Amino acid sequence: MAIDKQKALLFGAAAAIRLLLFAAFPSLPDLLTGRVEISTPVTSFKRLQEGLFLYTHNVSPYDGGIFHQAPLLLPLFSLLPDIRAHPLAANLLYILADLCSANALMQIAETAESVSSRLFTSPRKELRWSSTAIAAGFLFNPLTILTTLARPTSVFTNTFILLSIAKACTGSAMTMIIALSIASYLSFYPILLFPPLVFLCYDAEARRSPKNPPNPWNFSLFHLSDLLVTTGALLYVSYLLTGSWEFIPSTYGVQLLLPDLTPNVGLWWYFFIEMFDSFREFFLGVFWLHMASYVGGLSFRLRKQPLFVVVSLLGIFAVFQPYPSIADVTLYLGLLPLYRHVFPLMRYTFPAASALLYATFLGPAFYHLWIYAGSGNANFFYAITLVWSLGLSIIIADALYAVLRDEWEAERPEMRGKDVRQI
Amino acid sequence: MVSLGPAVLGLRRDARILKLPPYLSALCILVGVVWLLLLPLNDYSRQTYVSENALLPGQVHTYFGGSEHNVFRAYRHEVHSLVDKPNEERVTKLQEIFRSAGLKVATQKYGYEIGGRSIKGENVYAVLQGPRADATEAIVLVAAWRNMNGEINHSGVALMLTLARYFKRWSLWSKDIIFLIPQDSTAGPQAWVDAYHDAQAGPAVEPLSLKSGALQGAIAVDYPAGPWGHRFEKLHIHYDGIDGQLPNLDLFNTAVSIASGQTGIGCTIQRMYKHDDSYKDRLQTMLRGMVNQGLGHATGPHSSFIPYHIDAITLQTVGSGWHDEMTLGKTVESLTRSLNNLLEHLHQSFFFYLLMQANRFVSIGTYLPSAMLVAANFSITAIALWVQSGRPPKPAAKPFSTDSKDEGVEPEMTLVKEGDMTALVPASAFEIVERKLFLPVAFVCATHFLGLIPLYLFNRVSESALYPTFFLTALLTPALPLLGAYPFVTSLRPTLQHLHLIQCFSLLLLGLFLSALATLNFSLAFLVGLAAAPLSFVRPVPGKPRIALAAALVLSLVGPGLLLCVVGRPWLPSEALGGLLKGAVEAWAVNHAWTLQVVVWLVWWPAWVEGAAVLAVSGFVEAD
Repeated sequence: MAIDKQKALLFGAAAAIRLLLFAAFPSLPDLLTGRVEISTPVTSFKRLQEGLFLYTHNVSPYDGGIFHQAPLLLPLFSLLPDIRAHPLAANLLYILADLCSANALMQIAETAESVSSRLFTSPRKELRWSSTAIAAGFLFNPLTILTTLARPTSVFTNTFILLSIAKACTGSAMTMIIALSIASYLSFYPILLFPPLVFLCYDAEARRSPKNPPNPWNFSLFHLSDLLVTTGALLYVSYLLTGSWEFIPSTYGVQLLLPDLTPNVGLWWYFFIEMFDSFREFFLGVFWLHMASYVGGLSFRLRKQPLFVVVSLLGIFAVFQPYPSIADVTLYLGLLPLYRHVFPLMRYTFPAASALLYATFLGPAFYHLWIYAGSGNANFFYAITLVWSLGLSIIIADALYAVLRDEWEAERPEMRGKDVRQI
Repeated sequence: MVSLGPAVLGLRRDARILKLPPYLSALCILVGVVWLLLLPLNDYSRQTYVSENALLPGQVHTYFGGSEHNVFRAYRHEVHSLVDKPNEERVTKLQEIFRSAGLKVATQKYGYEIGGRSIKGENVYAVLQGPRADATEAIVLVAAWRNMNGEINHSGVALMLTLARYFKRWSLWSKDIIFLIPQDSTAGPQAWVDAYHDAQAGPAVEPLSLKSGALQGAIAVDYPAGPWGHRFEKLHIHYDGIDGQLPNLDLFNTAVSIASGQTGIGCTIQRMYKHDDSYKDRLQTMLRGMVNQGLGHATGPHSSFIPYHIDAITLQTVGSGWHDEMTLGKTVESLTRSLNNLLEHLHQSFFFYLLMQANRFVSIGTYLPSAMLVAANFSITAIALWVQSGRPPKPAAKPFSTDSKDEGVEPEMTLVKEGDMTALVPASAFEIVERKLFLPVAFVCATHFLGLIPLYLFNRVSESALYPTFFLTALLTPALPLLGAYPFVTSLRPTLQHLHLIQCFSLLLLGLFLSALATLNFSLAFLVGLAAAPLSFVRPVPGKPRIALAAALVLSLVGPGLLLCVVGRPWLPSEALGGLLKGAVEAWAVNHAWTLQVVVWLVWWPAWVEGAAVLAVSGFVEAD
């Protein structure tokens, strides 16, 4: 009961601080909605409103090339009262999504999957934070709060990703698949999380009935077909809703082919602005292949800890996906505290965290110089997004190192605390 | 990373490494300051030059003169006759004159409420539609009714009226020209330029009924000579914008080159009327420029234009000499012709520069390192404190003791290999203590949020309460850490590591904010960096409450107390300080100038409070 009280208090405080910010600074959400660091062409709330306007006026929302988000968001938001006149309903929806995310995060933490999976138990398993602390870390992260205030649709993607991870940890395969297909339907890239999530789910099933674990191949194939069926169903409903398949090129096509080069915190936009058109297809292939290639490698190498594969992949996607924003980073930073036990093994936390902090402040300053003051140029902002990505990738790589080292020390306890050198 | 990693890690374990940072920090500050002092030398600053070819400064013949002089004198008397008349009559008359010259005229009323005082006024402006223009671009010529010193701008306004009539006859304008006569020099232009971009604050500022295209540049004229005229000696060019933003250097250079080259008027900047091109004068000009930039307030009617990316300058006449209004008119004509030539927005030349004379400057690449070095000194100390906070409290036993009677546990030794060399080092040197981050992070965040209180207070209290509020803040700032230290220790039981981490995060944030600020407002970043420099050298003194409290008191006195003594100067009449505070509040409310106040209250003030608090608290914390 005590824990429930704690949880209620935490969620109440998180909701209150968001409501307070929404109410006290009515112009803040619109300001943040316009920030390129938070809103990307495929998640922006402003673009969603444009799509919504066209939709409610019986024009195809994808006409005009502004709206690139999943069609099913439209009926959801058209149910709400007019957003400009009564923003409260939409705001509450976003706050609710955040709380659901935090709830899923708590479920993940409570399974203790991060310290002891089916195939591996960390020698440092005593060292972990309570689920409430982890949820608090997510809910009170300033980046999360800013994201909620800016209301990009990536908030929902994050919720469904966390939900599918939580369900995978508890072995509810069907719910996991449904949540994952909704997340992929909304943002496309989460579909890459399928292999580690299936491993995670399989481990949970196998742990539940250690006597006769399900056949891994059958299990994977069955759920792959599940995923195809649910995603197909979502797409078909969208087809019925919009009356044509044209939403596919406008949503997933945009993710794949990058026609909109609005600046963001990622690495793609500048690269593709600079590139000659004849190389475009080739490098699109290279960039996507690079991002997707982590899935196979990490899933195999860290087969014993599939949850960590998911976490690392989310961090990698936050750096390397075509339209990243700080919303993706909040997801990674929210999940990372599950690995509290390997923090002492990380080596570059302070420099990497400082680099991130510097980038957080220099990014908006340089963007201001480029766009508003006119005294800087695009290189200023791109340079700082490079620093941001560098900081993130150092944290990701360092966490990966720490987990591998932890695994190695479980195998060879006598090496604990010894200096190692990679040769 | 692979080859670098072990070397860096090896370095981290060197015991001497922690002794180095204070010296390194001091060196950074020293080099930063010396760097700045070197800038006025010939080897480090450069002669200015016009980079934008389209400007062609002084390449056109100017025709302003002859009978225009009579027109000018007549208008000057008209202006003089309006001085004591009510506002409506003034506005009507000015409108009438513009209209008779064949221009479209409109007016705009504006009002601001600041701390119980209200600023009200009305702008008059006229648009000359360029015969070759398509109303997509415009140039603004400004003459405020009252200049920055509150004098009536007789000749400046008369010159605008004459130029409007004169320019109307030419067919060569390829941009619209807007003649603006705001009632005062700060609020009026701000209200107008805000409304031009539909960004006016509240209903008290009217929207504009008449507009033209995108504004390419603005030139303000300040020539307060009365109805009988006054011959001036030099042109004093103001170029500082709100929040320390500057106009493109090309505009400034064009003005200087036209004034000195074509019309033969000497130019001067930053109130350095007697500039003998010596090192001392250059340095003084540069420092005055930096103070103006750091304050980020309006220095003329042009200042409000710059945040909208409209390059603008004010030409002010100074001294007594032999240049008359017609020479000034020709200068403005030639300058307008140059701007009229522009094919695109000014972008070629520098936006970040320090001027040390009308024709000498340093660009950002040369001067930025000095501010960055000052900011870096905080980061260095922060990193050192982070490393220190991870050290185990005490080195374990004597590692090289041969005394076998030592019954204590044999210290665990580790073999370290670095290249060919091998050493036996106590294992404790490798240990990193777990850092307790929650309390330090919470404390630093809380202190920074505390800065919102004075920020809010100063911009909300009535004008008469500004001075008392300032004194209260100045008194409470040193008192806060001293009185708060004991309760803080008894309730939260901080350890020495906590204090190290508090200071680490505090300095990290300071360095972070200052380096971000250096890209926006170099001067402010540099000055605030210097004003916070002692914080890098403060270290906790555990277990000595008296020394700690005394040191904290001294620190507080040299810190925010410094503000009280140098800026406030208790021996000055309270109006001087009051005027400064009033100016800052007005700039915040009217001109949206935010950097100075935000930086002082949310960056500099919290850093001092944290520094003093660490020192005060450390007295009650046990040494390891």
